[in-house]
Order: sequence, then C-alpha cells, then structure tokens
Amino acid sequence: MMDGLVLGIDLCDEYMQICCAEEDQSWMLPTVICKHKTTDAWYIGEDAYAHTLFGDGIIVDKLVKLTVKNGMATLGATRYQAAELLKIFLGKVLEFPEQKFGTMSVSQLVLTIPKLEPALIETLYLCFEQLQIPRKRIHIISRSEAFTYYVLSQKREIWNNQVGLFHLTAEGLCYYELKVQRGLKKTTVFTECETMEEGFNLDILDTPSGARLADKILCSCGERLLQRKLYSSVFLSGKGFEQQAWAEDFMKFLCSKRKVYVEPVLFARGAAFRAADFLHDKTSYPFIFICDGRLKTSVSLNVLHKGQDTVVTVAAAGDNWYECDTILEVIPDEQDTIDFLLTSLDGRSRRLIRLPLEGFPKRPNRTTKVRIQISFLDDQTMVVLLTDRGFGELFPASKIQIRQEVML
Amino acid sequence: MSLWLCRQESVKHPYYIEALGLPIYSSQELSYVIYNNPLLVLDDFVNEQLLTFLRDELNQGFLALKLERWLKNEENPDDALLVILQECDYYTAAEIAKYRQLIVNLRKLHPADFGKRKADELFELRQYGKALKLYRELLQISPDQVVDEIYFGRIWQNIGSCHARRFQFEEALEAYEKAYDKNGDQKVLEQIYKLSLLDDRLVLKSQYQLLVNEESKELWEQMLTDAREKAAASPEMEQLEQLFTKDPVKRQAGMSQLLLQWKREYRGMA
Repeated sequence: MMDGLVLGIDLCDEYMQICCAEEDQSWMLPTVICKHKTTDAWYIGEDAYAHTLFGDGIIVDKLVKLTVKNGMATLGATRYQAAELLKIFLGKVLEFPEQKFGTMSVSQLVLTIPKLEPALIETLYLCFEQLQIPRKRIHIISRSEAFTYYVLSQKREIWNNQVGLFHLTAEGLCYYELKVQRGLKKTTVFTECETMEEGFNLDILDTPSGARLADKILCSCGERLLQRKLYSSVFLSGKGFEQQAWAEDFMKFLCSKRKVYVEPVLFARGAAFRAADFLHDKTSYPFIFICDGRLKTSVSLNVLHKGQDTVVTVAAAGDNWYECDTILEVIPDEQDTIDFLLTSLDGRSRRLIRLPLEGFPKRPNRTTKVRIQISFLDDQTMVVLLTDRGFGELFPASKIQIRQEVML
Repeated sequence: MSLWLCRQESVKHPYYIEALGLPIYSSQELSYVIYNNPLLVLDDFVNEQLLTFLRDELNQGFLALKLERWLKNEENPDDALLVILQECDYYTAAEIAKYRQLIVNLRKLHPADFGKRKADELFELRQYGKALKLYRELLQISPDQVVDEIYFGRIWQNIGSCHARRFQFEEALEAYEKAYDKNGDQKVLEQIYKLSLLDDRLVLKSQYQLLVNEESKELWEQMLTDAREKAAASPEMEQLEQLFTKDPVKRQAGMSQLLLQWKREYRGMA
C-alpha cells in the first residue's frame, strides 16, 4: 500500500463497488442507507436491508437518483437532504478500505458514475470534501472512461484491436466498445457506450424458460454488435454475468475467435487505475481519450503574445469537460468581439464563433481588459462568461458580463 | 485587429502614480501611463519603489534587475522607460519606436517650454495642485528669447485657471489680473469678467470695467447662463435629483457615496 488509500469507486442506484489500486480485495454493496429508529446509528448495504427487515430501521434507496433530483427523505422525525444521506453513505463505504488497510488518509479517489450530470458531480465533490478529502484528490469520471483505463492497464494484446464490454445489471444492458487509433502524433482511444433497448429484468433468469429467452436476446445483440469487426477481447461485467451458465449460446458465440473475460468489478478497478495514475507526474496513458465525459472538439483563441500571433487552446479535445474551468484575460485591439475557433478532433472541421462585446463601455483602444471564463455544461455545450475588467482605475470596470452558451 | 494576451499578475499592493494621483495594478497600466504621459515620466519615474513593484507585485524580477543596473551605471534614464515598454509587451515595436522619437523631440525643447507643457499636462489631468506648483516654479526662470512677458502672462493665466478649478476665486482673479498686465490678452479679460459674475464677493476693478464693452458683457453673460443651463441638464444633476426621490435610507447611502466621490475628486485636484 502507498502512504494513503488510492481508491476506485463505481456508484449507481443499484450498487456501489470500491477497491484499492494494486489490491485484489474489493467491496460491493447495494446503494441503500438505513437509519435506526431510536438511535443515531446508520447502516448501509446488506446491513441496511437486515435492519429494515428486523423492523428497527428506516431505509432509503435510489440515493443517486434522489440526489440528482435534489430530493429529501424523512427518516423518523428528521428530514434529510439526499446529499446529506449520500455523504453518510460514502463515509460508511470508505470505512471498508480504511479498516482493512489501517489508514484514514486518501491519496487519490476516482469515482465513476453511469451518467455525468454537473449537479451530481458537484454534490459528490462536496460530499467527499465534507469527509475531509481535499478536492484536488477527488476525480469523477464516466464509466466509459473507467472501462478505457481498465482495458489500457491490461496487456497490449488485449486491446490491439477492438474491445467490447457487455454490462448487465438490474438497471439494464449496456454495450461499450473501445478502439485504438494509432496516429502520427498521439494515439487516440475512442470508447462509446450504447444502452441496449433489449435490456431485461434479471428476475427472468430464475426460471429455465426465462434464462433461455435472455440467452436468445443476448445472442441477437451480440451478433448485431460484433459482426464483421475484429475484436481482441470482450469483457462481461455486472450482476447479470455473476453466473454465465444461463447464457450458454451467448458464451459459445462470444468465445469463438475472441478472448472473453469476466470482471465483476471492472468499473471500480478502472477508476482505481486512473487514481493510481494521478499519483505520477507523468501519465502512464499517453493517449487522447475520446469518450463520455471528454471533449471531442478543441476550443482555441488567436492572440498576440510577445509580438507574435499565437494560438491559445482553452480546451482541448480529450479534456474532461466537467473539470475544465479556464480563465484568461485579454485586451482587444481595434476589435469588439472575442472569436473562438472550434476544431474537430481530426482537424478537418473548423468553425469560428464570434461573440460581440455588446454593452461594454466605449473606451480608448486597448484599455478594456476582458476576462474570459470557459466551462462546460456537457461535452457539447460550452459556457463562455465575458467580464468587463476595465483598465485599473484609469478606466474602472463596469459590472457588465456576457454569458453565452455555445454548441460545439 | 487582435487580442493581446495578458500576463497573470496578482497585484496585492498597487503602485501609486504620484503625478496622476492614481494607483496602477498591472504591467499594461504601467505601460499605458508611460506611453500616454511622457512629460510626467521623463524625470525620476524609474525609482526604487517602482523596481520593488515590478519585482514583488508584477513578478518581473528580471526587468527590475535590468533597470537597477541601468540606474547604477547612470545610463540614459529615458532608455529605462523604453526597456519597460519592451518587457511589458503592451505596445508593438513600431509604437515603441515612435515613442522613442517623441522623447528625443521633447528633450530638445527649451526648459521653460518643457516645464510648461508638463504643467499643462497635469492641468489636463485635473491635477491642479501639482500643476500650480510647477507653474509657480516656472515664474522663477530667468527671461531670455523664449521666456518673455508673453510667456509669463500665459503662466499667470494658467495659475489663475488652476485656482479657479479649485474654487479659489479670489486667488484666481489676482492671477488673471497679473496675466492681463503681462500680455493684455482679451481671453484673460473674459476670464476676469466671468469670474466676477461667478462670485458676488469679487469686485471688478474699474480699470477692467472700462475695458469691457456692452457687447462683450452681453455675450459673456449669455455664455455663463448657457453653461449653467447645460450643467443643470447634465446627467450628473439628473442622477442627483433622482437620489432625492429615493427613500431616506437609500438617499442617505447614495449621498454618502457621492460625497466620498466628490471628496476624492477634490483631493486629487488639490
């Protein structure tokens, strides 16, 4: 073990998995929390179910959904914000590795969630901060990215060609596909995720006829998705694949000409690999990642710096859009617009976005400093905030701000 | 057309530009002041305080060191200004070359002209106290081909204007009278007459009364009336009137703010 814990967490409404980098042990439990009816004791996972069944606790499930909705839950006589419950839940979750490895310190923590939503991401950051983990040590990534890190941490032969992942849980069936594009400059790794309409309730696996039907559904999906493509490997993950006996035909289909691996803790382990990489100054993954949570377009500005025309990249393709918060200041010279250049990943498509400095006070040339703040609502929507900073007390700043959403 | 990328400068203690009565917070502002006010920065502008500001606040240690050596070796101080402009990256090479030529031309001026232009620049910047001090110093210059009665008349006229802008009408009248005695300029006579109209306590001496004809009187009185009407309709007055329509709490707060602003402006002038 390193000085502090290096953690990977996979969190969704159904379950939570946590593991440490370079350690085999992992923990998995349902994402539920229960409060004792008469004391201040809290229980999570199976313990929460046990106390609820016993009748001395009140349970809350679907914590992630509740948090996204900014919901509340009443436990006993007290109303709790969903974020508060999530914080208690995560605090209890962290106790597993803390107790096992005897340290409370967290060096890096990477959490993966099925859908990156700004409000949820912010709440998760706040939860961990309240649990005394500094924000700079917390990172939130998509499952696509966790899968990418997991695959790229394996031997090269595993990802020489395409890599597929079937993730089957009570929430549905998702298919992930990773392909590596080796270019002249940098290798680009593309990972896409598709939620399959053919998802089914895992309860049907309890009967032979239901299992046969499920096997048939998977075979049909597999044939459709994998045909005419060259795969180095295919992974199976999720509660649905804890046992594979029910999917006899699907397994037969997959295992012909392909290496197939079952990894129940795939996303959490991928997150842990990512967390371990944060410990190093130089990344072990010198690739451009294009997946959920990463930008597919670069945003740049043409500026004058030390007398030279220079291009400043404010956000690059492959950057995490939710971690991007670029601030820079510029002084327009004989122009009353701020022009952004949007460039696609392959550089073939370029688009100029011109934002006029409407309402900014008229001043002598080069005496208006404009603060440009760039952030993203998602991988397709950039938010630009232009603020008039004036020019010291020579030309005091007005309170004028322009906020513009730009579709990439 | 372009965008200039600004250096990241987190200035906690701004540098106070004495001549302008203003603090500056960035290398761009420093360059702007140097470039637009050459007369005010040509002498003794680069000093230990400025070097400290460059080093500690603008993180321009290399530039500060360069200037320090420059000063130590008693090199041409004007070149130090050019070094600042080059390093701060706010003006182009062509603009800096133009500035260099401007300095050369200014240095060729007669000291009396140089001093007057410097004082005039302070006047333009509403730094009346500083301008007044400089004008008074210029009165001590020995007369020569350039410094004649007309020159002194202009200096006295400007001294009068400095006093008038500071609402010191008595001193202003005295200075204008001296100016008129020196150059007999009709414009000065106009200022004397208008001043007597502005302040009831001032008495227009008979010698000046005789010099002002009825036509001029009528014209100047009309000009003053127009100016008063224009002032009454100015946005500042409108703002003031609006302030009095607000509720007592907001009015009080607004008045305090306005008074503070006026005080600050007046201190700057003084």
